[in-house]
Amino acid sequence: MADPLMYLLDAIAYAGIFGILSISLNLEYGYTNLANFGKVAFFMIGAYVTAIMSSLKYPFIASSLLAILIASVIGILTSLPTLRLKEDFLAITMISLGEVMKLIIKNETWLAGGVWGISGIPPAIVIPGLTFRDRLIVQIALIYSVLIACFLLCELIVKSPYGRVLKTIREDELLASTYGKNVFKYKVQVFALGSAMSGLAGSLFAQYIGTVSPYMFEPTVTFTIWMMVILGGPANNLGAILGAFMVEGFQRSSRLIKDYFNLPLDPVNLQVMLTAILVIIVVFYRPQGLLKEKIKPYEGKIHKIITSKLMEVKSWIHRS
Amino acid sequence: MNSITWGCMYMLATLGLSLSYGLSRFPNFAHAEYITFGAYMAFMFLTMFGLNIYLSIGLAVVLSALLGGLSFLLLFKPLKSRGASLIHLMISSIGLSFLIRHFLMQVFGGGIQSFKIIWPTISIGPIVTTPLLLAILATALITAISLHIMLTKTKLGKAIRAAADNPELAAASGIDLNRISLFTWSLGAALAGFSGIFLAMRSSLVPLLGWKVLLQTFAITLLGGIGSFYGVLIASFILGLSENIGVVILTWLGLSADYRSAIAFIILVATLIIKPEGIAAVARRRA
Repeated sequence: MADPLMYLLDAIAYAGIFGILSISLNLEYGYTNLANFGKVAFFMIGAYVTAIMSSLKYPFIASSLLAILIASVIGILTSLPTLRLKEDFLAITMISLGEVMKLIIKNETWLAGGVWGISGIPPAIVIPGLTFRDRLIVQIALIYSVLIACFLLCELIVKSPYGRVLKTIREDELLASTYGKNVFKYKVQVFALGSAMSGLAGSLFAQYIGTVSPYMFEPTVTFTIWMMVILGGPANNLGAILGAFMVEGFQRSSRLIKDYFNLPLDPVNLQVMLTAILVIIVVFYRPQGLLKEKIKPYEGKIHKIITSKLMEVKSWIHRS
Repeated sequence: MNSITWGCMYMLATLGLSLSYGLSRFPNFAHAEYITFGAYMAFMFLTMFGLNIYLSIGLAVVLSALLGGLSFLLLFKPLKSRGASLIHLMISSIGLSFLIRHFLMQVFGGGIQSFKIIWPTISIGPIVTTPLLLAILATALITAISLHIMLTKTKLGKAIRAAADNPELAAASGIDLNRISLFTWSLGAALAGFSGIFLAMRSSLVPLLGWKVLLQTFAITLLGGIGSFYGVLIASFILGLSENIGVVILTWLGLSADYRSAIAFIILVATLIIKPEGIAAVARRRA
């Protein structure tokens, strides 16, 4: 990547893909308080399904739809045993799922190319006679239209009555169930949707870079997505996208530093260490992120009243 | 024999995680890195500085304890007192784990290293073994017995159990929760460092050493019941045994033996479906 414009366009495309992942995590974590520490698993499933389907000469639309379907089905299946329990059980299961998925892909060479991965995935939109730069721009247009669609979908969801139920679940599960809402059902639905969006992002990723291998899907990817949401502002979709841009920009610039300066540190190590320190600092000093959640004034007030009433009821139950 | 030594190593690796999880009420994902850290420290003292093997192991274990204690003091204790949520605690523990791992990668390089110790074989009756396996057995046995005595007989041990059971009540009866937590975290990290040294001596030393057994340690923690000492003891041997049986079944099915850690995943999910409280809860109800 000698051409700085290409580098920039590539970074923009990456930020778009990660923006989709970040929005999907925001729906799960920011609005519903689900600790999905296995984002990379669903991203990987999406990418690999697309890769396998396209090597069987299926069109991109079909393979991405299948990627969405498989990612959400696996999301539902693995989250079912844990969604009734506390958040930490979900976190442990998901972080393990990421490892197990990678294990399967590394070992089943007949299916997924093993450690070598799959290459030669055709891009989704093929227009003959374009230069490399123009093809990149077509890719960016595709990725960003999906990103905008996902953003609008999530905005619609969280602004609807459905979204208010999700926020209630986040604040107090007991409160949501006293209103007769099936908390478990809502959580499974959100998880399925989040996984589906991650699968779609994986699908876009696979057709964008044209090759997949197990080493692209390390647990650091999950951590990067979390970083984006936490930095940008949980429960704020614009914040999630902003976070994706900032983290991508940060990582790109630290990679650039490597090209121009001779550092005694390995850039990958430096990048991960800095990201980790940044996460810890944000969690310490600004857990609400850069862009705060917009709470309508009456929502906040009503919520406060209801919570205080509920606390009374809870203490009564406790005493009796 | 193989399952027993694996069980012993898993036990050493997991005890600290389970105890600190029970006490501080969140899973410390950085626990895996204490394992790696211990192994690298021993490697550094032994092969780089040329110290005596016992001295190197001792220093490595002390440093691991220090790391565990410091991570509690500097990171998790202030976070908890700021009222950080469970998810925030978990994400910062993941952050810490990446920090430690990449720090080690930076210092020691990302490649595979080895202790370069060739163990002579000893045969006791029909069993052929090496001094390393015997050392693992002995360490695990001594740890289990001394922890048992500590937890049941000493004041400190009783305070740990009380605090894990009901922190508010323990604090009300004059137990210094912070001191207890600090002790447990350091002890847990020391044991993890110990297990890391054994793990690395048995196979090889890589920066992902601890991460590779993360799945197993969590499966044991949940199977045994979070915070339960005896649960960990039983669950480690169950896992050690089922991994060995599992490998046989896997080869019989014609699958790769790499799926070994998937067995831990199956146990983990099965525990969550059948009995999320783990073995300890079942035992308690019977008693």
